[in-house]
Amino acid sequence: METYEFVLPSLWMGLGVVIALFAIFYYVGYISAKKTTTAEDFYAAGYSIGPVANGLAMAATWASLATFMGVIALIYALQAPFVFLWIQWALSIPLLTLLYGAALRRMKAFTPASFIKVRYGNEAAIVSIIWMCLAMVMYALGQMIGLGMAFEVLFGIDYAYALIIVGVATVGFITLGGMYGASYNAAFQMVVMTLAIVVPMGAIMKSLGSAGWWFPPLFYGDMVPGMLERLPDFFDMRYDYRWYFALIPAFTMGPIALPHLAMRIFTSSSVKSARWSVVWFVLFLGLLFGGSYTAGFAGNFFTAETGMQIQPADMTIFALNVYYNPAIVAAFVIGGAVAAGLSTIGGNLMAISGLIGSDFLGIIRPAMESKKKMTYGYAALGIGGIAAILLAFNPPEFLVTSILWAFGLLATAVAPGILLGVWWKQTNKAAVMVSSVVFGVFYIIISPHVLGDIVIGHGLVAGLGMSGAMVTVPLAYASLIILSLIFNKMGITPVDLETKKMIDRIHGWGSDYDEVRYNGSIMPVAIVLICVVIFIWGLQPWPS
Amino acid sequence: MKDQLYKKELLLTVVFFFVLLFFGHFAQVFVLFPGLQGDAAEGIRMMWGFPIHYILPILMGWFGLLGVTIVMAVVLNNFDDEMEELAESLEGKDSNQNK
Repeated sequence: METYEFVLPSLWMGLGVVIALFAIFYYVGYISAKKTTTAEDFYAAGYSIGPVANGLAMAATWASLATFMGVIALIYALQAPFVFLWIQWALSIPLLTLLYGAALRRMKAFTPASFIKVRYGNEAAIVSIIWMCLAMVMYALGQMIGLGMAFEVLFGIDYAYALIIVGVATVGFITLGGMYGASYNAAFQMVVMTLAIVVPMGAIMKSLGSAGWWFPPLFYGDMVPGMLERLPDFFDMRYDYRWYFALIPAFTMGPIALPHLAMRIFTSSSVKSARWSVVWFVLFLGLLFGGSYTAGFAGNFFTAETGMQIQPADMTIFALNVYYNPAIVAAFVIGGAVAAGLSTIGGNLMAISGLIGSDFLGIIRPAMESKKKMTYGYAALGIGGIAAILLAFNPPEFLVTSILWAFGLLATAVAPGILLGVWWKQTNKAAVMVSSVVFGVFYIIISPHVLGDIVIGHGLVAGLGMSGAMVTVPLAYASLIILSLIFNKMGITPVDLETKKMIDRIHGWGSDYDEVRYNGSIMPVAIVLICVVIFIWGLQPWPS
Repeated sequence: MKDQLYKKELLLTVVFFFVLLFFGHFAQVFVLFPGLQGDAAEGIRMMWGFPIHYILPILMGWFGLLGVTIVMAVVLNNFDDEMEELAESLEGKDSNQNK
């Protein structure tokens, strides 16, 4: 098959758009820096972001460079089943808000680790900080590499130079503006991303012959007969039921523990405002994701129609824009992709900053004054960014290929401690630490990325962590419940009265305390039983 | 009253948890019940020009979830009001007793 390679038609136009966008990001960062005077301002934007701006910022933080590059390439390769995998990402923040976001917002936490510190103590907090930082670095690294590669391909400069330019420019405006800057920039970036994906896709769909070009995310159904003629299996649900079910432990339960998403709840002006932010988040994210699915569809249609294979597949949306749209439009789409990468890196770096500058320092230097902590927060943010740039020069293969895999790690090692900690008073500190360390490490061992020989499942399901999470996530929840009961009975780190009172308080009960509340046995027994079934199911051989 | 509110909180959380999962993972319905995709006699069932098993999960994962989150915001924010009212009345009672 003939290949169609992406080449940017006008280098200066592309550069002009990217430079203009960076100028806006720096201006927003500069204005935001003036508003940042306390640690609350730096880590949580003074708990003051309104629902629409916060909803936009949530969507921008969550939708990474993958929305422009990775997902479209994977739809190009795997077709409709990958769309079904992607749809469920929209559950992340709604579930997070429902299950613990609102409760933690009441205690004015900066990150989920702040809750773990208060709930279980310093040692458990350090364990969770390590897991979360690992996930954040993997995440930021993936974005940094993606941006470096995009600049390399787009502008034809060496990867190392591209990485330094984009890395330093990015870390600069995020460090300048703190959470105010990251939030308002992310809101603006979401608008750019959405316009960049949806509007040009309209023109492309029109060129491809769709009558529904005026709303590309949904109205290209008239192209389906043509697609089925050319690619009859495009819409096939080609995997068994377990493949679709495994998306829940691997990809739905993991992002619940992502600190950069949780921090978007904490920046809300109130718990009620956070819930309305979630509504806006779903609306904006759906629009963006709809544009991605259309681009994936159009990429396949283009190949089937013209007989040309887009190379590299990551560049599908750019290639389609160069082929069908004027150069200025293609340059704007590049700007949208850059905004997508930057908004996610912004969230990642703010999370690293909160975890190290606030949570970790709060443990080792509890008496440090707020101003000084904020200074360290700035330093942690800058160092986190520089570390991501340095790692991106020669990235370990394991880290690059496994961003999605890291969600299963968080679902195993961090989420159970947070969720059961909020909803069950018996959840025990020692049990959290044992369960987190043992099954977090177990998840790493049974993945194909580290040892290679000891793997549950194979191929894509193992590489993405779907088969591994089907085993370790139920193990982590069940063991945490059973160990908590045993340790509490034996008097090992028993849950004290103050902690139990705190659990009632974060649910909104104020000073009213009741020992029976969040202390029943039906929920933990039901969870253990469900986990046993999922665990056994996960151990069955996976079809090749 | 306290007991009722507590049970309501648990019930709302469990119900919304499963409703969210249902909407976000709607494609599973078509894998569990492949007959919904259509049959040999009538062919693939279509909606808006798309195979129904493709477009419905997209719509449920967008507008369906949007509807659920709106209901969630209204219901849980109302619940918070009830909770705040109760917490304030309990604290008022405590301070009166202390006098």
